[in-house]
Amino acid sequence: MRIAAFLPELLRHLFKKPATVDYPFKKIALPEDFRGTPYLQPELCIVCKACERDCPAEAIEITAVGEPAEKRFKMVIHNDRCIHCAQCVDVCPTTPKAMQMDSLFELAADDRHKLKKDWVYVRAVIKPKAAAPAAPAAPVAEPKA
Amino acid sequence: MSFNIPIGPQHPALKEPISLRMTIEGEVITDADIRLGYNHRGIEKLAEERNWIQNIYLMERICGICSHSHATCYVQAVERLMEIAPPKRGMYIRYLVSELERIHSHLLWLGVAGHEAGFDSFFMYVWRDREIVMDLLEMVSGNRVHYAINTVGGVRRDLDETQKARILDGIATLRKRSEYYLHIGANEPSFVARIAGVGLLPKEQAVALCAVGPTARASGWDRDVRKEDPYAVYDELEWQVATADTCDVLGRVVVRIKELLESYNMIEQMIKKLPAGDIAVRAPRKAKPGETVSRYEAPRGENIHYIKANGTEKPERLKVRAPTLGNYAATVFMLKKGFVADIPLIFAAIDPCICCAERVVTLVDGRSGASSLVSLSDLRRRALDRPANALVKGKAEWPF
Amino acid sequence: MAVLRTLLYLLVYPGLLFLFVYGTFSEWYDRKVYARLQNRMGPTHTGRFGLLQPVADFFKLMAKEDVVPDAADKGLFNALPAFGLAVVATSGLLLPVWNFSLAAPGWTSFSGDIIVMLYLLSLPTLVLFLAAWSSTNLFSTIGGARVLTMLFGYEVPLFLAVLSPAVLAGSWRLAEIAAFYQQRPALLLVNVLGFLVALVAVQAKLERTPFDIPHAETEIVGGTFTEYSGKKLALFRLTTDIEMVVASGLLATVFLGGFPGGALLGFASFVIKTLFIIFLLSLIRALTSRIRIDQVVSFAWRVLAPLAVLQLLATILVKGFLS
Repeated sequence: MRIAAFLPELLRHLFKKPATVDYPFKKIALPEDFRGTPYLQPELCIVCKACERDCPAEAIEITAVGEPAEKRFKMVIHNDRCIHCAQCVDVCPTTPKAMQMDSLFELAADDRHKLKKDWVYVRAVIKPKAAAPAAPAAPVAEPKA
Repeated sequence: MSFNIPIGPQHPALKEPISLRMTIEGEVITDADIRLGYNHRGIEKLAEERNWIQNIYLMERICGICSHSHATCYVQAVERLMEIAPPKRGMYIRYLVSELERIHSHLLWLGVAGHEAGFDSFFMYVWRDREIVMDLLEMVSGNRVHYAINTVGGVRRDLDETQKARILDGIATLRKRSEYYLHIGANEPSFVARIAGVGLLPKEQAVALCAVGPTARASGWDRDVRKEDPYAVYDELEWQVATADTCDVLGRVVVRIKELLESYNMIEQMIKKLPAGDIAVRAPRKAKPGETVSRYEAPRGENIHYIKANGTEKPERLKVRAPTLGNYAATVFMLKKGFVADIPLIFAAIDPCICCAERVVTLVDGRSGASSLVSLSDLRRRALDRPANALVKGKAEWPF
Repeated sequence: MAVLRTLLYLLVYPGLLFLFVYGTFSEWYDRKVYARLQNRMGPTHTGRFGLLQPVADFFKLMAKEDVVPDAADKGLFNALPAFGLAVVATSGLLLPVWNFSLAAPGWTSFSGDIIVMLYLLSLPTLVLFLAAWSSTNLFSTIGGARVLTMLFGYEVPLFLAVLSPAVLAGSWRLAEIAAFYQQRPALLLVNVLGFLVALVAVQAKLERTPFDIPHAETEIVGGTFTEYSGKKLALFRLTTDIEMVVASGLLATVFLGGFPGGALLGFASFVIKTLFIIFLLSLIRALTSRIRIDQVVSFAWRVLAPLAVLQLLATILVKGFLS
């Protein structure tokens, strides 16, 4: 047992830069597959409701709007309930996936109802592979806010 | 003159609410009583209303530090009920994250032990190095806590070459730092004076009171579910169970640091031996009727999940026995005859995760069918009233 | 005119206002050094470099609600914070910085003022004990008992260590002791052992790690300060800050040769020497972990007291050799 076994390490740190990142003035880069918030690409959604069924937090709500013949649906994502698990993305059956995750995590708001996002759209039709619709550009994660 | 001093439910020494009522004379504790229930959230009931996939995320949220332990233990049980086996690559990735979680949990505990002892500089350094593991976990799974990498039938994300190289780099740095912390933790005189000889738990008492995890291993009892009941990949790796002989808090520090070093070895072996292939198999939505028990070595000890399925896509009954629950009886024993100043250290040395341990026990009288809700402190008192040298039954019948 | 001058002396410089400013500055310095030793940033955003952080803490506490427990002894409970501050501020007046000329010393430098200063520095400990006792809270009672137990440990080594240089200098007056060592700086080396003992004892007096057992946060919530809130807590924290300044001023006077050079240079030397001592105290704070109360007392009597006695013997030998 030596007295002050710790001392050299302590003194060395006087001359090092602090390990603290001065958030929010400086931010750390996020990894590629960071799980932020989910969002929908409505032109790809076939309204199978697998995401609504498997969401652990009941954060996705899909309802039909207007006449049944119109095939218009409204999806609400309750970001105040979302637990950011990305199960909705995993279970979405379309290629490319209609549900995607972005990298937003600075979601604080003072009213949780402001955190809900909704989309109204017409159900997409799965065409056979030969006449595949022009798929939109591969989805990129939204830039950090 | 004896006082009754309450530690908790709100107290700066506790990270979670629990009530420890001590009877003290001067600075010596003469009696201790643990009361639970402040953090009960009804998770076992909630689990009965969610399907198998939703329950993975619910199980994760039993605890933040050992989230992957609960999710994995649950998923092991469900896969056994559904009679599916994940592919080898999926298993390796799943248990790689397990070992990374063990590292993060032990580093967290080391820092907290330093803070409880007043050694704040040690606390800051260890938590700074823990950031390396948190960044690795974020890279692998997408989140620093609640990794959600499991799915029924395998894992959800794959590892590519850059990620593997980064993991190996991070582990190399951490190994150097952990060896330094072992040197400091065992040598800084004021720190050792606080933790040596404190919280003594002799081996016979550890066995009689069913201590689990590093608390038991520091008393020289080499129990580890990964060796006794090797699940998945643990019998393909070379590693040893970490034990210590001093039976006190210093022993528990040494055991956890040794486990850190073993985990580093295991991760390097797993990365080198990572087989090619799929990461998951397709799982059915419904599980066949049946019941099963699954065990897992969480950072705190042995974690047990019992699941009963009845052919639908929701479980009929899910029961969690977290490791901290097993250590409470040993804690009461350790607290008696200790000093007041040692309470935080003794309690912190079992690495308490009170959230894991908040469960209600329902006793059903077999003959009359009447059920009663019994609090855990009553159960413990009844258990301790039995003769102290009752034999541990070799082939215990699971009572359900 | 003399009345006005005395009032300014008591309230502005070197009285309350100066001690407030310098006390909060040294708290900032202590927190910054402690943070940098731990690879952290320390106060950064309140004022330039975070200099205003302790001031902001003080004013925040002054603005908070002041709760007095029902069972507490109201007279003592309310009066003690102000009393502690008064005692510590008075001891600040005795430092030989403000009366820099030996010929016209003013009424704060007299023979025996080193004893008075040591006495005034022991009073805050009694104040802390009484504050704990009058709170009638279980955690406070334990904290108060620990405060007194620690007093029995470190007080004797502190007194012996601080009085050894006085014995060598042959005077009980701080200004004369400082002047003696300014003329013969080589003799400062005789007191190195006493300096180390006094540093450790001052750390115990200020209740900082490794001796912060009386208000150990993780064990007894707040010890003496458990029931104090609002203005009273602000005054107690200010008392601790000023105590740190005064104790390091005392150590600098006796062990580091005082503050020569007249008004301006003397003041600069005061700042440099006290900051050096506070740096050493922060280093000790970062280096060690908290030790138990029985370990404090046994450490004090087995290690500190014999070393202090050794220092006294060495001083007597050197004095005999010199004369």
